[in-house]
Amino acid sequence: MNVRHVRLLVWKEFVQLRRDPMLLRVVMIMPFVYLIMFGYVVAADVTHLPTAIVDLDHSVTSRQIDSAFSSTAYFDVKARPDTEAALQTLLDRGDVQVAIVIPDGTQAALDTGQVAGIGIVVDGADSQSSSVGTSYAMQIIADLNQARAADLGAGALPGVDARVRVEYNQTLASVNTMIPGLLASVLMVTLMVVLSQAVVKERESGTLEQMFTTPVSRGEYLVGKLLPYGLLACAQSAITAFVGTWWFGVPFTGSVWIVCLGLLLFMLTTIGLGLLVSLVSRTRQQAQQTIMFVMLPMFILSGFIFPIESMPAPIQPFTKLIPLTHAVVILRASFVKGSGLADLAEPFLYLVGFAIVIFGAAIIAVRRRLSE
Amino acid sequence: MNGLDRIMAIVVKEFRHLLRDPRVLATVLLLPIAQMLLFAYAISFDVRNVPTIVIDQDQTPASRAYVQTYSAGGFFQVRGDAAGIGDVDGIFRRGEASVVVVVPAGFERAITSGAKADVDVIVDGSDPNAARMGQAYALALNRLYGQQVAAVWAEKQGLDLSAAGGLDPRVRTWFNPDRQSSIFLIPGLVAVILMIVCVQQTAVTVVRERDLHTAEQMVVSPVTHTELIVGKLLPWTILAFFDMGMVVAVGMLVFGVPLRGSVVLLLVASLLFVFASLAMGVIVSTIAPSMETANVMALMLAFLPGLLLSGLAFPLESIPVVLQWVSSVFPARYMVDISRGVFLKGAGFSDEWPQLGSLALYTVVALFLAVRLYARKVRT
Repeated sequence: MNVRHVRLLVWKEFVQLRRDPMLLRVVMIMPFVYLIMFGYVVAADVTHLPTAIVDLDHSVTSRQIDSAFSSTAYFDVKARPDTEAALQTLLDRGDVQVAIVIPDGTQAALDTGQVAGIGIVVDGADSQSSSVGTSYAMQIIADLNQARAADLGAGALPGVDARVRVEYNQTLASVNTMIPGLLASVLMVTLMVVLSQAVVKERESGTLEQMFTTPVSRGEYLVGKLLPYGLLACAQSAITAFVGTWWFGVPFTGSVWIVCLGLLLFMLTTIGLGLLVSLVSRTRQQAQQTIMFVMLPMFILSGFIFPIESMPAPIQPFTKLIPLTHAVVILRASFVKGSGLADLAEPFLYLVGFAIVIFGAAIIAVRRRLSE
Repeated sequence: MNGLDRIMAIVVKEFRHLLRDPRVLATVLLLPIAQMLLFAYAISFDVRNVPTIVIDQDQTPASRAYVQTYSAGGFFQVRGDAAGIGDVDGIFRRGEASVVVVVPAGFERAITSGAKADVDVIVDGSDPNAARMGQAYALALNRLYGQQVAAVWAEKQGLDLSAAGGLDPRVRTWFNPDRQSSIFLIPGLVAVILMIVCVQQTAVTVVRERDLHTAEQMVVSPVTHTELIVGKLLPWTILAFFDMGMVVAVGMLVFGVPLRGSVVLLLVASLLFVFASLAMGVIVSTIAPSMETANVMALMLAFLPGLLLSGLAFPLESIPVVLQWVSSVFPARYMVDISRGVFLKGAGFSDEWPQLGSLALYTVVALFLAVRLYARKVRT
């Protein structure tokens, strides 16, 4: 391996990049677009859910419940219909997404020491609102119960005093988990899209043969090809991490080394996948199509946006086969929880395995193809 | 040869390109189905089976009965018990569970003696959605369990039970009781998939022509710019409609999505939307000097806004106002709205005309820009 050769090749890639300044610009703008999209859209915490309250009890308690729901930012009480039947049209038209039904006899039940059911009706069509609405509503009712118990001196009664507390990310802000995963995703998109084109492009334009009439060896060619884009992708991740912690205030409690190691291993797998796609494609259009086909399931199934636990059980084992899944676990754990290397042994082992298999296969395949 | 013949010649040429590259054709036809299956099955925020670890330091019949309630509900998935309280941090850091329940020693003694038994429920906040639900469910569960305990005790003591009552949240889900997101998602997906296919494909085919220097040859032929663009876009329009037909068919047959509203409205809107997306593809292609760039830009302009700013999976009401404005610049949100209205709510022209109007306006502007930019690009 001749350092001068590699340097020349890297320089050649950069010259090519300069000819296509748009790519460089787009690649540098990308982290910001992603940050805005994921930081503000995906991580937007659902509040102001349009809500209807049906008070059939007209009692002190029902009024308490009403005011508890009206006074939080989570619910926007839009309607107070007199009958439960009226909910049908409200939910149908999408005017409300949540409805609270206080049945007749709630106060009476409470007065005799019974448990009174409060209906929480959610529009199941919208997965996020229904899940979040349910938990907010349950929380409010739990608070009401607590206040009531304290008023009545129920502290004297036996029972269970559950102290529920949240550890790490106490504010439960979604940005804090979204942005760490973004580091890996940005890197993946760039490397896979660019590298999948790399070898096909030189082959399409016939410059690959010219390259090998020069004294450049195959190893040097590869390093020269991968290094510039690797650096570019690292810059993207660094921008994402910086803006994430500085602008979005994502806490960083872990070790920089673990993040870097995880990203490096992950980078090898994405480079490998990009090169493999490049090799099995005859034209650039094919390569681009194939990469879309490969990237989309990786994105969706990695748990980066949609929680893996919510996926159907038969799909869940497959998510382990996606490198991004493990990269996201590592990044989240080290940003938010400060996990150490020992804690993250499992995802790291997966990534090492993927890096060896995928990157190794890609290198062998590229060398074989280049020798032809 | 008149204009129509020339356009047809280009259409035939484009189809020949496609047939010569069956893999691209296969991807164009299969990708939408793959996307639909993925989205329909994987997009869900519904939390269930939250991995839970119980640390029972009391080890009495009472504590075991209490712990049992966690497994019973279906929300918590008790994965086993850990040794000591000091282990909680380790459990979270290793990601073994999202909820840890600690029942300290003395649980049974407290309950039988009529005191309050302390229990710790610690939730890992690094998955906010699961944490929020875990918190709420744990509170409700403990409340209910406490009431049972109090009732039993009060009865034994012959006391007034009035303080033992409480409110019990009973959740009912309407429309979609299984909380399957697919029925809600698929109408929106139709729009987003159309957009991704159209923008990406046109962007790339136009750039490719330039890359291979066949664009110059086109210019010396008697074909005008408009004819060339129409000829290039027509095959993709046909393919896009074919894709859409497939997605709708699978959605209705496999996922049981109802089609309640006006089919004509859906077709008109789709036509406008397809043209708008194709125009966007052409615009990208005129800006991007190379295929990689076209690709990355198409991803950024079609895929992300299509998926995120269309209201498909993330409600538009909860995003910042500025981004809501940005979202109105992308046609996807109008189409998602129309498609959803037609499929799920039985909407017709009278319900969706503002969206249809916006879409039409968008399409006209985008097509105009596309033709202008393309002509300028070819001339230089």
